[in-house]
Amino acid sequence: MAKKKFMLGFSPAIVNEAIVYRLVKDYDLKINILRAEVREIGGRLLMEVDGKASNIKEAVKYLDEAKVEVKELVNYVEKNEERCTHCGMCVSICPVEALTVDRTSWKVHYDAEKCIACGMCIDACPPGAIKFRI
Amino acid sequence: MKRTVAEINQKIKDGDVVVMTAEELIPYVQSEGVERAAKEVDVVTTGTFGAMCSSGAFLNFGHSEPPIRMQRVTLNDVPAYTGIAAVDAYIGATELKTDDHAEYGGAHVIEELVSGKAVRLKAASSGSDCYPRKDIDTFISLNTINQAYLFNPRNAYQNYAAGTNSSEKTLFTYMGKLLPGYGNVTYSSAGQLSPLLKDPSLRTVGIGTRIFLGGGTGYVAWEGTQFRTNVETKFGAPMGGARNVATIGDLRDMSPEFVRALTLPGYGVSLALGVGLPIPILDEEVLKAAAVSNEQLFAPVIDYSVQSRNRKPIKHVSYAELRSGKIELFGKEVRTSSMSSYLKARQIAETLAERIENGEFLLTEPVAPLPSDRSSGTLEVRSKEEAV
Repeated sequence: MAKKKFMLGFSPAIVNEAIVYRLVKDYDLKINILRAEVREIGGRLLMEVDGKASNIKEAVKYLDEAKVEVKELVNYVEKNEERCTHCGMCVSICPVEALTVDRTSWKVHYDAEKCIACGMCIDACPPGAIKFRI
Repeated sequence: MKRTVAEINQKIKDGDVVVMTAEELIPYVQSEGVERAAKEVDVVTTGTFGAMCSSGAFLNFGHSEPPIRMQRVTLNDVPAYTGIAAVDAYIGATELKTDDHAEYGGAHVIEELVSGKAVRLKAASSGSDCYPRKDIDTFISLNTINQAYLFNPRNAYQNYAAGTNSSEKTLFTYMGKLLPGYGNVTYSSAGQLSPLLKDPSLRTVGIGTRIFLGGGTGYVAWEGTQFRTNVETKFGAPMGGARNVATIGDLRDMSPEFVRALTLPGYGVSLALGVGLPIPILDEEVLKAAAVSNEQLFAPVIDYSVQSRNRKPIKHVSYAELRSGKIELFGKEVRTSSMSSYLKARQIAETLAERIENGEFLLTEPVAPLPSDRSSGTLEVRSKEEAV
């Protein structure tokens, strides 16, 4: 079993396709939608996918063929260590505790595994040390 | 046990001064007791690294050929105040770049100067017989500018409120992003490392006190703005914003490590600045006050959705609770965030301790004391007659 996060981009031509349904039904994937945005110019879907590694691979192939833009998210958020003052303003903002402060060293750590790319921390960081990679 | 600043300075020169950071002092006093610790320790160092909006720099650009009396000045498109002599200006930390969406301001200009970068200076004037030039467009840096020094009207606040938000929308404040429905709590003071909390009645601090400022050496110039002493205390320390100091120091001595521009969306720009204060242990009372821990220092929790100067605290919480990462509000656990960097506060206290131990930093006696009895006035809308 594998867990991966993807960002899908849709053009207006395919917004009517039941893509998530296909991913669940045909590839037996557990989908957790983290963010979704559909507008007249197209849409964007951020999701966590849980399932067999081979199924995830097949699903990505299907999405490619369906002309859905697929981007695997590895490090969505970047913390500039030189800019970060380790104040901890981001810590109480992060809904999934991907940003935590070590209470011995008082350094702020970013855990990419936990991050859901919600972007809440970006404008909460006073020295501007956190940026989106996407 | 009594000790004078002169005796401590002699020990510094002789290389046998005993210095501890306020953080190191706490467990030491807990194990050895006040009497023993006061005998052993000569100096306690403190530090804080937080947003200090009331900061800025005086700049003297030197005279151009032909000379100009500057009437409008911008630095990287951030306006500076120039209603003083011909080539003098003051760049305030919170001043915003013209035509900008509040993301770049005076604090960024100051940080760039401290980082050794070139900053674009534009100035205009109507011209006069003695200052014929009408405009100039050039670059300056700390290497080429005549003089540049920080002169901050309000720094190192002795304690500060913690912020929360009872409303249904996210608030963007100088206390950062406050989530709706008491979604989080933010606080600012370094607590047990915070300079003025460790000498709460300012027995050893006054005008002329030498301090660590932005990585270099600075001085206490005056009482800070909104300085007040009439704040309720617990374990001898005020339970809310009370005293603070105006500081001064040469920008050329400073480091971008301790001078950092901040952008607070929806509020504006501020400057994070490192300030450290050495406390000479003159007697047991001074030591006792310096050994107060986060468990004994309290901040009021204020609801920032109440847009009034008369906000009553929801409750008081200790810095130990705030630092734990969560506090309890109305029976619910609420996560906390610090505006100031405890890591940097610790680095400042440690750096200052090293400088003292190495004989690079001597302690000072205040030239004059700061006020001992002061309240903070308010602004009312009054007629000309009522105003006097």
